[in-house]
Amino acid sequence: MKVKDSPYISRNRALFQKLLRTLLEEYPYASVLAADSREKTYSVNRRLTSIRGGGMMSARGFVARVFDGSRWSEHSFNEISEELLPAIAAQIRETAAMSERILPDGIRENVYAAPDDAQNTFRGSTEYEIDPEQTGDDAVLARLREIRDRGLAYSDRLLDCSVQVNWNRTSKLFLSPGKDLEQNILWTTASVSAVAARGQEIKNSRRSLSLLGGMELLDQLGKQAEETAATAMELLDSAPMPAGEYECVCTPEVTGMIVHEAFGHGVEMDMFVKKRARAEQYVGRYVASPLVTMHDGAVSASQTGSYFFDDEGTMAKDTIVIDKGILKTGISDYQSAMILGTEPTGNGRRESYRRKAYTRMTNTWFEGGSDRVEDMIASISYGFLLEEPSSGMEDPKNWGIQCMVNIAREIRDGRLTGRIFSPIVLTGYVPDLLKSITMMSPAPELSGGGFCGKGYKEWVKVSDGGPYVKARIRLG
Amino acid sequence: MIERIIQALNDLQICKYSIQEIRSRSAEAFYVRRRQDLKRRTTLTDYTVSVYRDFEKDGRRFTGDSSVPVYPGMEESELKESLRTAYHAASFVTNPCYPLVSGSKEAPVPSQSGFAGKSPEENLKAVAEAIFAAEDTEDVFINSAEIFAEQWTSRVINSSGVDVSWENWNLNGEYVIQCLSPADVETHHTFSLREPDLAILQKEVADAMTRTKDRARADKPPKGGRYTVILSEEHVDTLLSYYVSRSDASRVYQHYSDYAPGQAVQGEEIRGDALTVILKAAAPYDLQGVPLHDRTLLENGVLQTIHGAPRFCYYLGIEPTGIYRSIQVPTGSTPLAEMKKQPYLHIVSFSDFQMDSFSGHFGGEIRLAYLFDGETVKTVTGGSVNGILPEVQGQMIFSKERCRSARYDGPLAVSIRNVTVAGIDGE
Repeated sequence: MKVKDSPYISRNRALFQKLLRTLLEEYPYASVLAADSREKTYSVNRRLTSIRGGGMMSARGFVARVFDGSRWSEHSFNEISEELLPAIAAQIRETAAMSERILPDGIRENVYAAPDDAQNTFRGSTEYEIDPEQTGDDAVLARLREIRDRGLAYSDRLLDCSVQVNWNRTSKLFLSPGKDLEQNILWTTASVSAVAARGQEIKNSRRSLSLLGGMELLDQLGKQAEETAATAMELLDSAPMPAGEYECVCTPEVTGMIVHEAFGHGVEMDMFVKKRARAEQYVGRYVASPLVTMHDGAVSASQTGSYFFDDEGTMAKDTIVIDKGILKTGISDYQSAMILGTEPTGNGRRESYRRKAYTRMTNTWFEGGSDRVEDMIASISYGFLLEEPSSGMEDPKNWGIQCMVNIAREIRDGRLTGRIFSPIVLTGYVPDLLKSITMMSPAPELSGGGFCGKGYKEWVKVSDGGPYVKARIRLG
Repeated sequence: MIERIIQALNDLQICKYSIQEIRSRSAEAFYVRRRQDLKRRTTLTDYTVSVYRDFEKDGRRFTGDSSVPVYPGMEESELKESLRTAYHAASFVTNPCYPLVSGSKEAPVPSQSGFAGKSPEENLKAVAEAIFAAEDTEDVFINSAEIFAEQWTSRVINSSGVDVSWENWNLNGEYVIQCLSPADVETHHTFSLREPDLAILQKEVADAMTRTKDRARADKPPKGGRYTVILSEEHVDTLLSYYVSRSDASRVYQHYSDYAPGQAVQGEEIRGDALTVILKAAAPYDLQGVPLHDRTLLENGVLQTIHGAPRFCYYLGIEPTGIYRSIQVPTGSTPLAEMKKQPYLHIVSFSDFQMDSFSGHFGGEIRLAYLFDGETVKTVTGGSVNGILPEVQGQMIFSKERCRSARYDGPLAVSIRNVTVAGIDGE
């Protein structure tokens, strides 16, 4: 089934069009983005139950973007009516003219050419099997409690087992002189986390699932409970990581974090504009093993980073960032592409209508190879199987890696020994790591359980992944 | 809108509720080098309505709750449907009974911030002037910056009589310093100001330029091993967040933490400085309407207070403290220069310094550190710190110097002995 239009946006479409016409009487270009997003989060653990409507990605509001002939400005607001239109237009005008009140001495404004606003009309909706709003709160909670109980039953030394599911339905309308675009997207994510304790020592393990769709995700969640509980218990016997450089096999989740944090942020082309990305100097050069082909794009995969058009009205694409080890291109928002003289790639995204659009990743992943996971492990005399990424931070300028991983399983003489180490900090130089990839499993797997920030803010939903890969990595 | 929400709640016979209204405005500017690239403003009003339902099931009494966002201008039918759906959902939420915070209608509390009384645009300009006051040189300059001047008024109303409102200001953002030689590097910095401490901000930018020059000269990680590590500024705040998290009532209630008042949470044997932490009231109320005032969290390493949301405090049978976002820590007695007389690794910049409040693990990749081997100070980059706070907390030495941000007011630096660092040769 297809996700339906937002009744709110449909009802007020004429009002948004009228606001756009009003702005175009004064400015050579303007656009209006209207967003209506609903979400709901269910969670249960040993002691608590929660149902929460709304959340970080839930919002209804608008952003008017104005080009005055040379400069850009934006005004975000969340109340509109026929009566309020003159006041809203006045606020947008005031924002467009506020530079003289805010420019410090010695600071000038960037000047832009008029945007190219090709004609386009589009309507699109993603699909789902089970409508989250028709599933029933009691049925969802009953399913989560069943999964929680399976986790808790694993061991009486488990402090807790938490299960969560979250869905988000977002509708957007983008209007400009040339464009009339409307889309409706539904994604669902879920997670199981288990906490194990021994005295003062507390360890936790977390797994997440996601899909572009609805509550059909719950069917995939059940088996995660025992596995997560088992991992949390194993972690109680983990040892501190002996620092060094090792042959490693990365699970698809860890591959995804490396793809996203280590390389993806570095090809966001708003960083090229600021001369903050080393990747700009490496276009056309080998940055990875010839085994590596990397994609980013909202239509490159069906996952939580998917959409039909971005927040600047550019249609989504599937961008091949690295082709057989050679960096081909970055990804970009519209404004960055204008400065750089490149084609926008449909990566102009806002955290919400409240925030500026930046170049952001969508679904970011490595293509698969032809190696079996068991052959990867068998090929290692001493090394580790890395599991459960927990966080990472970009470093586009210096291509440094910082990724945190929860579990390293020891491999000795081609076999897993059963010893595990935790926690682990991955460090090093991005091209060194990517060039060290020597084996990749066939099937890439993507997941979108988390959010991506630009630095420490501007959170957007993304997915990332890839196959199992074998690489040489510095661990600490 | 609040009257319409209350009317709808009454019509639906929902008699236990809480409404949060936040009216905000901001002025924002984005700079690339010394050029303003984009300007923005926001004018927003947000409502969150939480509904509560007391019920009995299988002989046990529960309070279920659910919350929904309500949007300005929502039509009557949509508003009622949202509230009805939330109230229905609350009937499946089987949490132990708890009351709402009770109170009365209080006079609005104006902001005492030095930003108050000016427009967001005026405050934005003042902060921009402070940031760009640092002179660019050919080699070291502000690559880019973002400034958000935000003012908001929060109001909390609930069905137990609470009706309070207060104003807040925050000027926050980030700046990136780039140095071109001998290597092309950058450092990323954030700021968050409740007060117009512009001279301090200006000095921070100047210091950041000096550090970025040092970063350009740093080309090797430290040798792996155990070091006396000095952490400073925001990393001290992040490190100490461990104690704030572990003493949170929700953690204690869920048995994720065994903290209890009177417990020597810094350990029985403190060879360094005993830690005192004050929870600072950055606003007169929290978002459930609990009045906030400064509270001692730790005194000389001993826990004084379990703090948190009223519901969890009620479950634990303790006074509801409300939710705090800032801490104050008395400075130590050791000058930073004294700390630096012995060999040390002073890490001033991480890729992303992390503190895991479950395990006490702290760590991150080193972007810039100063390494003193007893003879010379070298700049290093790369490698990572990997420590466990409960294992080293008895040896923390806090600096006499102080630093202040919106979230943290306390010692500029902490010195910790025997911390594992993964470096160039492994350990």
